[in-house]
Formats: sequence, structure tokens, C-alpha cells
Amino acid sequence: MTESAIRIVSIYPTLLGTYGDGGNVLALRHRARLHGLAEAVHEVSPGDPVPTDADLYVIGGGEDTAQVAAANALRADGGLQQAAERGAAILAICAGYQLIGTEFPDNLGRPAPGVGVIDIRTDRLPQRAVGELIAKPSQFAPSGLTDYFTGYENHAGATHLGDGVRPLASVESGIGNGDGTEGAIAGRTIGTYLHGPCLARNPQIADQLLSWVTDRELVEIIEDDVVALRAERLDYVARNSSRRS
Amino acid sequence: MRTRFAISVGRSVAAVSRMAGRGEGMVVGGKVTLKLAPRAIADLANDRVAVLVSATNGKTSTTRLLANAVEQLGPVLSAQTGANMTSGVVTTLANGGLDTIAVLEVDEAYLPMVTADTNPRVILLGNLSRDQLDRMNEVAMTARKWRRMLADHPNVTVVANADDPIVTYAAEQAPNVVWVAGGQVWTADSAVCPECGTLLSRDGSHWHCTGCQRSRPDPTWFLEWADSRGTAVAPDGERFNLSGLQLPGRFNASNATMALAVCEQLGLNLTESVERMCEVQAVSGRYAIVQVGDLKIRLLLAKNPAGWTELVDVMPPAPAPVIVTINSNAADGRDPSWLWDVPFERLRGRTVIATGDRRRDLAVRLLHAEVDHVVIADPYAANAPLPEAARDLDIIDNAATYTGFHALRTSAAREAGK
Repeated sequence: MTESAIRIVSIYPTLLGTYGDGGNVLALRHRARLHGLAEAVHEVSPGDPVPTDADLYVIGGGEDTAQVAAANALRADGGLQQAAERGAAILAICAGYQLIGTEFPDNLGRPAPGVGVIDIRTDRLPQRAVGELIAKPSQFAPSGLTDYFTGYENHAGATHLGDGVRPLASVESGIGNGDGTEGAIAGRTIGTYLHGPCLARNPQIADQLLSWVTDRELVEIIEDDVVALRAERLDYVARNSSRRS
Repeated sequence: MRTRFAISVGRSVAAVSRMAGRGEGMVVGGKVTLKLAPRAIADLANDRVAVLVSATNGKTSTTRLLANAVEQLGPVLSAQTGANMTSGVVTTLANGGLDTIAVLEVDEAYLPMVTADTNPRVILLGNLSRDQLDRMNEVAMTARKWRRMLADHPNVTVVANADDPIVTYAAEQAPNVVWVAGGQVWTADSAVCPECGTLLSRDGSHWHCTGCQRSRPDPTWFLEWADSRGTAVAPDGERFNLSGLQLPGRFNASNATMALAVCEQLGLNLTESVERMCEVQAVSGRYAIVQVGDLKIRLLLAKNPAGWTELVDVMPPAPAPVIVTINSNAADGRDPSWLWDVPFERLRGRTVIATGDRRRDLAVRLLHAEVDHVVIADPYAANAPLPEAARDLDIIDNAATYTGFHALRTSAAREAGK
């Protein structure tokens, strides 16, 4: 049986890729290869139309001015909204997570309009959240997500989830959304503050996205390098938080 | 008086720190001085600071090239260790006579403060890109601060890299700017206009913004780079051959060109300036060949994606293995996710020996880049499980982040002293 390649769209990597988030696309390609799945990545620059018929959309983090520019360009384009309505999978990180919501703070703290593909709203945390972030998958997370999430957060956003949007995880260490929850999930849209990059440090999330878009269960594949990194990061946080208490 | 007392206490602390083997003591000594006399930098500066040098990459090397050139006027005061925050600056200034000319490198974030305190004649602005994002402001914010700083100091002459749109934004309104075509290989942090956020259009090194119409200023100094040889071209068309530089790579030729533009502003003999720059061998251990444990290594400082992008060209070709040391102490940046912005794919065909506190992050990055690698906590140990090709090399390149680099220098110096 021949299958068509998974169509992955990387949204504005030139604008949104400050914290190594380009690695999420590399991780998706890597996991797809491990599972024997074909993929094709399409990078979209601001001004180019966002394809409406792809399977999976990836949006990274970025600086304040870039975030506003990206949100404006995406709203004007409309392609991502159409794809979301169609039920395409979306992974959005940090500034990307904030801008797919209805509202987020611009570089002066004023509310800027988001793309609105998910009902979340972000305002400012009293203090910037910078450091390792560890979170436990919530009861609303898909059943394939069982391991702790690990990553690095660097943001000033307090994100509030609207009706029909569920937290992706609960914070074990770090700040996340600012209220003890971390990230958001609604349908096949996942938003999170996890850099690291997220999918390299949390291959279960990569596999979940690939499973959604191929509509099949994927076998568990474990890589030693990734296991060693995850163990070391979880251990690092455990040691450093016990020292604090 | 207060400053003099504070310096003397600071020196004692620095000496204790050196004796305790905790580095060169410049930073801790300077911290103590500044605590006791917060105006110490202004008191010490005494209008003799000729040049401040700042950039994300290359500021230590550029400062060293420039200081060597300026020595044609007499002794020059300059930090030898890359101590470039306020505490390092105060220690450097305290270490020389009050009328000795100073050429100082300054950390990007501290530049506005040090400029206000020292009233320099020239400020060299090399490049701005992502580095230590946990500590540093995001790049555009640093540029905005530099821009305000230059508005507050209209008398200073700025020598700035016209090929870097972020640096240009910082410098463009200053009354006296010398624009240098210094090159920019790493463009990911200047994708958008720092003023209006529009994606910049690029054609070679030329760039312009279709949103607010700002564009690359016309440079008067140029670096020409061909066949791994650099030539600096002066505003009057005079050409200075830079192939005698012992510091390798295009980026050091760019550093030298920017330094030469500063020399012109200081009224120096430019031919002699180039000759003096060519005498510089290793800057604070960069490119130095040292023995660490069982290995003879060439030390390369590689602390962010822009630096890495240029450094790969300096390494011997594949399949020569290389050691890469990644740490995430405060001075390295706590977040090594920048590893994902480094084009490690260009190391394919060789085995990378991954070491340092964050060797596992590096290993996962290399896994995704499809680069063969081994993870070794101590590759310098006699019985380290190195790939055979590594033992066969006379000298192996070892690229390291800031604290890893300094740990290697320290341990090499200790072994050499045995």
C-alpha cells in the first residue's frame, strides 16, 4: 500500500524560531522516518500564502515585534484558520502559542489581536518565567501522552483558557500558563510554553501529532540519546528543587 | 579617595581569588571595588578611553587586534581575559596609569552604562545576534538600548557594521557614523526590520525594508573575502592585505577591517596598524594549541549559532573528528536550545565527541542532524573510549562554550606548570 507523504507546514520560521524551535520540524521528520512515514515540509514566509490543505502546522516562538508581525500576517492570510476549521493538527510554541489565541500582549504590554484558532487569551505575568519546565500530562491529554513533559520556558505570558480548551498538563516545576497548568489542547491543536525543542525532548508529543494525521497507532520507539537527556533533565530539576526547599 | 581605597580592597580580593585557583580574579575584584565606590568607572575613565568595542561575537578578538594597533602611540590598557561587564572594566581601568589610553571590550548589555561612565572617543559596533537569551535581552531590545545610548552621546564617533540590519538600526541616527561592510553570515536574527517588523528583502549583503524603506547604509570601508584571504578597502580605495593575520577565518578579517576603520578615526598609520594586528597570535586562548590530559587540542570558542556558523569553516575537513564541549552555566546561557539553530549537519562525515555538562543535549541534536557521535564525560582521560581516528590525530579541534573553554585553558595551564 502506498501512502501520500504527511504534509507539514512550518509557519514563518524566519520570524518565529528564536529559541531553537526549528528543531520541532527536525524532530517530526526524524520521528516520521523512524516510523517509516513519508513527509514533506513546506516553509512559509510572511507574505506567502499559508496552504490550507496540509496535515500539520508548526509555529515556533519569537521576539515581541516578530510575534505581532506574524499574528498580523496570519490573520490577513486566513489559511491557518481554514486549516484549523478543517481539523488539521497544529503545534504552537510560546509566542506561537500565544498568537493562535484571541489576544496577547505586544512589546509595550498592550493587548494585540491573535489569530483566534483557539479560545485562549494571554496577558502578562507579574515576573518573567525563565527556566526548566516540567509538567505532567493532564487527564485531557491524549492517551499516548504518558511521560512527563520536559523543556525550557522563557516568556512573560499568563495564558487563560476559554471554554472548550483544556490544559495540556499540570506544572510540576516552573510556571507554564501561570495558574499551575501548562499548555492547552483543543481538538488537534496543541499549544505549549515548552522549548527544548519540545518535540526533541518529548517524542511522545511528536508521535501523537503523527498519529493524528496518519490516523493510526504508532509503535513505541525509544532512542537512547533521548532517554538519557530526559533522565538527566528530570534529575537536574529534582535535585535543584529539593535544594531550594 | 573612596575610589582609590575601593580599588585597593578589590585588588586584594582578586589576589585571594587567584590564589584560591578561582580564575583570574578580575570579576570578583571589580565587583568589590564597584560595591565600595559605585562611581569608580567614571573616576578611573578620566577621558582616556579611546574605544569601546561591543558585539555578540568577536569583541575580544577585535579589541585585541585594535589594542595592538593602538600601541603604536604607546602603552595601551586593555583586558586580556575577556572580562567585559562593569566589574571587569573597572579592574582593567584600575590596572594602569591614569593617562594610559584604554581600548575596552564591553558586554552588549552593559555598553550603555559603560559609555555613560567613560565618554569614549569611538564606539565599535560589530554585530548582534541571539546569545544567552535567558540572561540577555532579545536582540531587538539591545539594539533599542544602543540607539538611545547614541542619542545621549552625540559627540562619539561610531564605527558600525552596515551589513547587520540590527546594528544599523542602533547606529543610524548617530551624527558621526563610519559604516563598514563587515559581512553577516548569520541572518536569522535580523529577518525582520527592528523598527516596523516587516520581513527584510535581501540581495547579497544588501538589504532593505519594504515597510519603512530603511536600507543598508552605503559603507565607506569594505572587507573583500576570496579564497580564504581578506583585503580591507579604505574609503580612498587604498587596499590593505589581511592575509598575514594569524587569527583564522573570514570573521577575523572582518574584525580587523572594523578595527582598521577605528584606527583611521584615531589618526593612526594604517599600514603599521595592519602589521601590528598580524602579530596577534591567540586571543585569550582562542585557537591556542594546548595539552589537556592525553590530548593535544586546538581551542575554539563557540558559544552561539552565529559563531558556530563561521567556525565550521575553520575546522579541518571531514572525516577528522572534533570534540565539542557544551556547558550551561550562567556565562554560557542556561538554555542550550540554541544548539538547534547551529547547522551541525555540516559536521556529517566525522565523529563528534560530545562532552560538557550538556553533552546529552548535544547528542540529541547530533542524532537529529544525522552526525555520528559518542558521548564521553571526560575525553581527556588516558582510558577514554575515543574513536580511533581521534587518537590518530596530532591535534584535535575542541570547540567549547565559554565556561568549558576556560576550564580547558585552566587545566592546560596547570599541566604546563607541573
